[in-house]
This record gives sequence, structure tokens and C-alpha cells, in this order.
Amino acid sequence: MAADFALRKLMPPDLITFDLQATEKVAAIKELAQKIKDAKQINDLDTYLKAVFKREEEYTTGIGNGVAIPHGKTAAVLKSSLAFGRSNKGITYNSMDNKPVYLMFLIAVPENSSNEHLQILSQIARKLMHEENRQAILRAQSPEELYQVFEN
Amino acid sequence: MKIVAITSCSTGIAHTYMAAENLETAAKKLGVEIKVETQGSIGVENALTSAEIAAADGVIIAASTTVNKDRFSGKKLLDVDVTEAVDHPEELFERVKTAPVYQENKDSSNDASANSTEPQATNNVGNKAKGIYGHLMTGVSYMIPFVVAGGICTALAFAVGGINAHGVLAQAISKLGSTAMGLMWPVLAGYTAFSIADRPGLVPGMVAGMLSSSMNAGFLGALLGGFLAGYTVLAMKKWIKLPSSFSGLMPILIIPLISTLFVGLVMKFIIGTPITALNKGITAWLNSLTGVNSVLLGLILGAMMAIDLAGPIGKAAYFFGVASLTNLSAGQTSPIMAAVMVSGMVPPLALALSSTVLGKNLYSKDEREAGKSAWVLGLSFISEGAIPFAATDPIRVLAAMTVGSAITGGLSMWFKCGIAVPHGGFFVFLIPGAVSHVLLYVIALVVGTVISGFLITFLKKMRYKGKEVNA
Repeated sequence: MAADFALRKLMPPDLITFDLQATEKVAAIKELAQKIKDAKQINDLDTYLKAVFKREEEYTTGIGNGVAIPHGKTAAVLKSSLAFGRSNKGITYNSMDNKPVYLMFLIAVPENSSNEHLQILSQIARKLMHEENRQAILRAQSPEELYQVFEN
Repeated sequence: MKIVAITSCSTGIAHTYMAAENLETAAKKLGVEIKVETQGSIGVENALTSAEIAAADGVIIAASTTVNKDRFSGKKLLDVDVTEAVDHPEELFERVKTAPVYQENKDSSNDASANSTEPQATNNVGNKAKGIYGHLMTGVSYMIPFVVAGGICTALAFAVGGINAHGVLAQAISKLGSTAMGLMWPVLAGYTAFSIADRPGLVPGMVAGMLSSSMNAGFLGALLGGFLAGYTVLAMKKWIKLPSSFSGLMPILIIPLISTLFVGLVMKFIIGTPITALNKGITAWLNSLTGVNSVLLGLILGAMMAIDLAGPIGKAAYFFGVASLTNLSAGQTSPIMAAVMVSGMVPPLALALSSTVLGKNLYSKDEREAGKSAWVLGLSFISEGAIPFAATDPIRVLAAMTVGSAITGGLSMWFKCGIAVPHGGFFVFLIPGAVSHVLLYVIALVVGTVISGFLITFLKKMRYKGKEVNA
């Protein structure tokens, strides 16, 4: 199950938080991005954030049902990463359904990412489309429980 | 319902796949069969095959990038942003049902230099909602290039070797011509069946077409055979249920064999004889038309050629002309085909006359440019050369063109002009033996062209009285 381990490498426990502090889109993205930076997987935080917000300008990554998946693809990213943050208060995000975001997956991809990583991200994106998976993520108490949602 | 879809987003990381997932989930819920090709940063995954595209009732493209649509020519195509598939996928399945049929090179209908003779009909291929007429037009649109190539080869053979195509080269070209012409009925019947039942329809359809050809049942036989084959296969697909371990045999053994046996035997023993008789009857009746009746036929065919500029009505007339050719022996000419072709040359020529000679200031610069190429297109019997004009001012243009074309068609009949080939325009006038009464034929063409040319100039003048035209 190489893919399973790959998810754990892509989204190690230090990139997972179940208590996001920010309640507003830009701040929330910055909060999660800082975690990726702290894990030394981005070399220039500003460049990365610029890519994320530029992407955000095209259309919102708040995909509705309380989920957002901001993402940035730039050379400033050293290693494909996925950070997860759950907000208990809700984040104002101008989502497609105008509802607050509770689950945020911040994706960082270098210019020449391996297909394996992209494949995992695409699987996660697909899984997020299903209500039962979103419910399970909302209930998750530990990184382990979060991994299991995607590994099933 | 079967749908094929493509999803793609600008970064190709998330939305591509979310959209695909949501389309698949919604399709399952709605009982729709779907295959979604994702074009993300991983590259293309789950790529659609041409067979899947051919079998699909519609195409959904949910993308914020430019997706190449060439593969979907002739399909109902709904083109939306990727977010729509993420947000409300179910609605898209409703909307694709009424989506317009995608035409490759959409702009070419407004482009006088695009000289494809039969664009509209081909674009209907695979469109399930098109009904009997649509299936017929699909078959016809596949058939016409064979007739054109075959007919022109035949005429070329006469040009090289005289009226009896003497000489090795002329004989060879003549043989090519008759081979291409001979494929006409199998292709017509085969692709009519293909339009109804997709690929499995081809075998019984083509066999029925060959049979029709050998039984002398002509156009009617081929058409009936094509429809019989198509609906037979459709019924078989619906009613024959095999255990899944044998289902692989359906497309390669069971459907081709049984449908061919059934269609072939029905053709041979039941409908063949009456259809052959009917075909002969119609041919005899057409050949017996003289005087007023034949002029009337020419008027009607001429009007049909112009009224929708190589649209379905024009094609019906054209087809009638082509069908009349198929019962000729070498060296004979068809007055019906002659009337059809010459009247189809009128609209582009008349508009060329009006826009480059009679009323230059009534046309925009673009139209005058289109007018120059319309001369060539008209001489080549490509009625679509008139489309750029009709697109901007349809009522006046089509009305004026229809009058002149009808007169030309009537005159051609009256003069007893005939032609041996189904296409080629002015250039076949020069081939000895291809056109009978060629001088009168030119007169018929000139008269109609001048009438339509003056008429449209006059109508445009009335319209622009006191107004400036945008250059």
C-alpha cells in the first residue's frame, strides 16, 4: 500500500491541526501555510502565498459544504505537501455556497511535482466530494483517524 | 443515456478531480452511464476512446482551460466552467440534453474560403434525438463524397479518353469512378444504420446496401435496408440478453450474424421485389417528364437548392439529382442532376455579381472580399459560398437567391440540358460529354445569376436608402 504511506508523507502529523485559530480566509491560509514553511517544505513563503491567492482570484476554492482546498503550484515549494486545518468556529471564505468553511486542505506543489503526489491529491479531492467522508473528517480526533478516511 | 465528459482546471490539481467525482456520483444517481476523462497536471487519465465518444448521447466539458473539442464534432456538447460540475453536476445532465451540436471549425460557415460541400449533415452524426430525417442525412452525408469522387473520375475518364473512355489510362480512371460510385449504396445504407444503432449497425447496413445495388433497388432499397438494419440492431441490443460470460460475443458474432441474416433475407424475399419495381417506376416517370412538368420540376429543385444554401432542403434536392444519375448508363446524362447543379451555382455567383460589380457600396469590406471568393465557389458549385451573405441578411438574400435559382433550374430543364456527374461546377462544362447542350446550360446559369444579382442589389438598396453602410 505504497499510496497509503505516501499520504502520510505528503501530510505528516505536524501539518495537521484540528484547531485552526483564524476565522477569515487570508489569515487561515497563512496560518496553514506557515506550518508547511515550518516543516521546511516551502522555501519562500511569500511567493507561495502569492501563487495561492492568484489561484484564488480565478475562482474561489471554497467548494461548498464547508470545505476549501486552496492550492498553489510554484517553484518556491520544495516538496509536495498537504496541510489540513479544521476550524471549530468556521472561516469566512466566500465559498461557492457562501457558507463558512470548517475543513481546509492547503495544497503546495512544486513546478515539477511527481505524478504520485498529484495522484494522491486528486484522490483526496474526489473523496472530499462525498458527504460521509466530510462527516468523518469533522469527527476525526487524531491524524490517524484523518488518514483512515482517505485510506479506506 | 450515455454521456462522456472532460474535466480540467487551471492548476489541474483539485477541481479537475472534484468535478469528475461529482459528475460520476450524479450520473450514478440519475442512472446515466458516464465516462469522465480528467485533464489535470497528471496528464490525461481515463481517456475517452473514439468508440465511447461515438456511442455517447452527449458531451459535457467542465473546464476552466481550453479543451480541444475536435473529437466531439457532431455531438451535443455542453461547455461549462469546471466549478459548475463541482457545484451542481446534476443540472448539467439536464442541460446537455438540449445543448447545441458541436461543429468543428464553427466559424467556417461564415468563411467563404471554407469549401467543404457537406458540412451540416455530417455534424448530425451520432445525435440520437435527430429522428428518421437525421439518420437519413447522416447516411447521405457519408455517401456524397463517394459520389463526387466517383462521378468526377468518370467524367475525367471521358475527358482523357473521349466519350467511350478509350485507352488504358481512361479505362483505369473510369474503373476507379465506377468503383467509388458502386460504394455509394453500401455507404448510404451502412451509415444510416450506423446513425441509428452505432457501430453494430454498419455490417447489416452495408450488406443491405450492396444487396440493394445488386437487386437494382437503388436509393429506396438502400435507404430502407439501412433503416431496417439500424432498427434491427437496436432491437437486438435491447432484447437479447446473454449471460455476462458470453456478452463479449454480442458485438463480434451474434449481432453481426443475426442482423445480417435477418436484414438480408427480408431484403431478398420480402421488400426487395416491390422496391425494385418502385425504383424502376420512379425512374421511368422521371424520364418521361417532358414540357411543362419537367420545367416545373426544374423550378422546384432550383428553388430548393437556394432556399437554405446546401442545408437539408438543398441536400434533399441534391440527393434527388444524384439518385437520378445512378440509373444512367455510360454516356447518358441526367437532366435532373443538371438542373440541380446549375441552380446551386446561382446563389454564390449572384452574390458575387452584386457585391463586386452591381452594388459594391451596399456591402461591407468583408462582404466584398467574400464576394470575390464567391465567384470561384459559385463556379465550383459550392453553394455555401453564399452563406456569409445570408448570415448577415438572411431574408433578403435567400429570397432573391431562390428566385434566380428556380428560374435557372426551370430553364435548364426546358433546354433539356443534362449532366453525367454530380459535382464539379463550371469545370465539368469543359469536359467533353459531361454536359449536354452546354451552351444553353451556360445561358440558364447566366440568366438566373443576373436575375438574382439584380434582385438582391435592389433589395439592399431599398434597405439602405439614405443610410451609410459600415465599411
